Amino acid sequence: MIDFEPSEDQRMMQDSVAQFAKSTLAPRIRESEKLRAVPEDVRRLAHEMGLGFIDVPESAGGQGLGLLTRVMLEEELGSADAGAAFGLSGPGTFGAAVVELGTVEQAAELLADFGSTDGHARFGAVAWSEAKPNKERAGFVTTAVLEGDGYKITGKKAFIINAPHASRFLVFAQVDASKGWGGLGAFVVEKDNAGLKVGSRHDTLGLEAAAFGEITLDNAIVPASARLGGGLSEADFTKAMLRYFSKQALVVAARAVGLARFAYEIALEYCETRKTFGKPIGHFQAVAFNLADRHMDVESSRWLVWKAAFAWDTKRPENEAIRASAQAAAFALEAAMRTGDDCVALHGGSGFIRDLIAEKLMRDAKQIALCCATPEQLDQIAAAIDLRAPLDPALVLPTPDAQAIFT
Amino acid sequence: MIDFVLSKKQQELKEGIHNVGKFVIRPMSLEMDRNHEVPEPFLRNFMKLAGGRGGQDIENFGEDGSGEEGKKERDPSKISEANRTSAVGAEELAWADAAMVLCMPGAGLGGPPVKSTGTPEQRKRFLGMFKGMDTGPLKWGAYGLTEPGAGSDVSGIRSSCRKDGKHWVLNGRKCYITNGGRAIWTVIFATIDPALGRAGHRAFVVEKGTPGFEVGKIEEKMGLRANETAELVLEDCRVPEENLLGGEAAYTTKEGGFMTAMKTFDNTRPLVGAMAVGIGRAAYEYARDFVKENYLIGRPIPRYAAIAAKLSQVSRKLDAARMLVWRATYMADMGIPNAKEASMSKAAAGQAATQACIDAIEICGAHGSIATEHALLEKWFRDVKVYDIFEGTGNIQRIVIAKRIMPGLKAF
Repeated sequence: MIDFEPSEDQRMMQDSVAQFAKSTLAPRIRESEKLRAVPEDVRRLAHEMGLGFIDVPESAGGQGLGLLTRVMLEEELGSADAGAAFGLSGPGTFGAAVVELGTVEQAAELLADFGSTDGHARFGAVAWSEAKPNKERAGFVTTAVLEGDGYKITGKKAFIINAPHASRFLVFAQVDASKGWGGLGAFVVEKDNAGLKVGSRHDTLGLEAAAFGEITLDNAIVPASARLGGGLSEADFTKAMLRYFSKQALVVAARAVGLARFAYEIALEYCETRKTFGKPIGHFQAVAFNLADRHMDVESSRWLVWKAAFAWDTKRPENEAIRASAQAAAFALEAAMRTGDDCVALHGGSGFIRDLIAEKLMRDAKQIALCCATPEQLDQIAAAIDLRAPLDPALVLPTPDAQAIFT
Repeated sequence: MIDFVLSKKQQELKEGIHNVGKFVIRPMSLEMDRNHEVPEPFLRNFMKLAGGRGGQDIENFGEDGSGEEGKKERDPSKISEANRTSAVGAEELAWADAAMVLCMPGAGLGGPPVKSTGTPEQRKRFLGMFKGMDTGPLKWGAYGLTEPGAGSDVSGIRSSCRKDGKHWVLNGRKCYITNGGRAIWTVIFATIDPALGRAGHRAFVVEKGTPGFEVGKIEEKMGLRANETAELVLEDCRVPEENLLGGEAAYTTKEGGFMTAMKTFDNTRPLVGAMAVGIGRAAYEYARDFVKENYLIGRPIPRYAAIAAKLSQVSRKLDAARMLVWRATYMADMGIPNAKEASMSKAAAGQAATQACIDAIEICGAHGSIATEHALLEKWFRDVKVYDIFEGTGNIQRIVIAKRIMPGLKAF
C-alpha cells in the first residue's frame, strides 16, 4: 500500500540527526569551510551516533538499517552542511564498495577499525577516477600486475573524496588490458603501503569541508587477498560496480535534496521579508512561481529518492532498482542545482556576497552533482536498462572516457 | 511504514484496465477521435463490468464513494485507500485513451460537490439517478462553473440567481462544460450579487429539460475530441428551491458557496494529474519502443546518446509527477489537508506529460508527426495539452502553491 509515513524508529532517528544537523553542523558551516575539514569534535559526535554505519549490513559490523533510513538521514545532514556530510569520518564510499565487491568476512574485517573508539579519525576512500582518459586503449592507465603472491599496482588516481585523510583505499586498476572496461580489478591498499603516495589536495568549487585529492601508486605491492571481487565474472563485476554506483548516487542525491531544501527555505524566508515597491518580493508572481517550482523540485526529488531506496531495501529486481536510482539521482541533482541557482538569484546582489550562505549553497550544488555518476551518465544507464541494451561497462560505468567524477 | 508497492487490489485494477486498454480501447481510439464519440455498446459493457454504477465517477474505483443510501458502511477504523486507488486507475485509463475516461457515464465532476455539500436527500436523489446503467439508459452529470469571463477566478462569475417564491431564477452562460450537452443534470454556480464576492455564490443542481436551460455550442477542440464540451445557456431558468445544493443553511457560513467549488478541486486535481501521467507514459513507451525497433542501439553514435538522454529525462519527470500524485492522494486518504500538494501534482504532471508528448514526437523524427503512420502519438500530443489547462492552468496551480508556502500572501 502506498504510504509515505516513516516508521517510529525512522522518525526518531530522523529527529535526532536533524537536531545534530541543526545545532551542530549548520552553525559551523563557514567554520568547516575555512578549516577545509569537519572539526574533530563534530566528527566525534557523528561517530558516536553511528552515522557511518547506518546501512552497512550487520554481518559487516554495521547497523543494517537499510538504504531508505540512510537517505532520510543523509537529507538531514545535507540540509545543514552538505560539505560536512562528505567530510565526516567513517568507511564512507569505501564501506559501500567493499560490501558490494567483497565477501561478508572481508567486509567485516576491513570495516572493523572504522567502528572503534578512534573511528572518528579514520576515513575510507575509493580511488576510481583518473585525471585523463587512456588514449591507447579502453580502460584505466593504472595497472595491477600479478606478481608472485600478490599484485603490483602502478598509476595515478584522482578526484578521490577524503584522499588526504584516508587510512584505507579501494583502488581500481586494469588487470587485463585486452578487456578494456571489462578487465578491471579492485584492490585494498593501506595508507602505509610503501608504494602509495598521497598527492596534493584539489582546491574545489564547493563542499570545502570534504578533502578531494589524488594518490600515486608506484609499484605498490599488495597481497592477492587484497583483491576484492576477483572471482566475479566480467558481467558480475560490472553489475556489482553498477550497484555500488547506483546506491552511492542515491546517497549523494539525498544530500542534494537536503541542500536544495536548505536553499529553498532561505530563499523563501528572504522573499517574504525583503520588500520592494511596497510589498515582499515573494508577493510578485515571477518570484512566487519560482519559489513554487523549487518547492515542487525539493518534494518530488525526495519522494523519488525514497522510492528508489525502498526498491533496494525490498529487493525489487536489480535492474528496476538501478534504474529507479539513476532516475531519482539525476532528477535530484539537477533540481538541487536549479534551487541553488535560484536561491542566489532571488537574493539579488546580496546572494553574491559571502556574508550570506546562498552563494555557498550554489557552489555546493554544482560540486555535489560531480560526487557520483552525473545526471548525464545516470540518464544513459536508465535508458540502457529501459531499452534493454546490453549493460556494457564502457557505457554504464562512470569512466574518465565519458566524464570524470569524484568518488 | 513507507511503502511504494501497490496493494493487491490496486495491482489487479491496474492490470485489468491495462488489458482492456490495450486490447479493446486503444484499437478504437482513433475512430472515437474522428467520430467525436465513444460507441454506446462499449460504454454499456463497461457499465456492466462496473455493476451499473457510474464508471466515470472514478472514486468508485476504490471503495464505495457514491454516497448512496443502503450501501455497506465503511469500517472507519480501516484507512481508506480510495484516492490512491483512483489515481492508479485514472493513470491506466488515460494511458489507454484520455478522451474515453471523460466519456464514462456517471455523475462526473458534478459528483464531488453533490457528495460534499448536498443534503442527504439531494445525495440520494441526484446520485441515485445513476443507478442501473448496466441495463437502463446511460447518464452523465456535469459541473458548470466556467463562464466566458471567469475561469479559475471563481469569484468573477456573473451568472445570476435570485429567489422568487419557491424557485430560484437563473440567468447566464457557462462554457467549456465537459459532457454538458448530454448531462441529465449540471451543478451550476451562480451569484446572488457579484458585489458580495464569494459569499454571494450559490450552487444548484439544474436538470436537463428545465425550461430556460439550453445547450449552446458544442466546441471543436484540439484534442479529447471524442469527448463532448458544451456551452450551457440559462435564460430565466426557474430552478426549484430544493435543488439549491446543501440548502440555504450551507450558505450561512462564510464563503460556503465558494468552498464548495474549491473542495472539488482538492480531490480532483491529483486525479487529473494521474491522467496526465498516463498519457505521458503512453507517449514515452511509444517512443521507447520506436527507438528499440528503429535505431541501432548499443552503438556509441552521438544520435543514440542524445535520444537515450531525452528518453530518460522524459521518464524521470513523469515519475516525479507520479510521486507528487501519490503523495497528494495519500494525504487525501489520511484526511490531511492537501490543497498545496494537489496543486503541485497537477502542475508537475501537466507539464511533464505535455513535454513527454512533444519529445516523443521529436524522438521518432519525421515519422512522429505523420497521422497515418503514428496516429496515436499524434493524437496524444493533441489530447495532453489540456491537462495543463483544465482544473486550473499550471500558473493557477502555482498561485495556490505560493499562497500555501507564503501564508502572508493573500493576493497578488
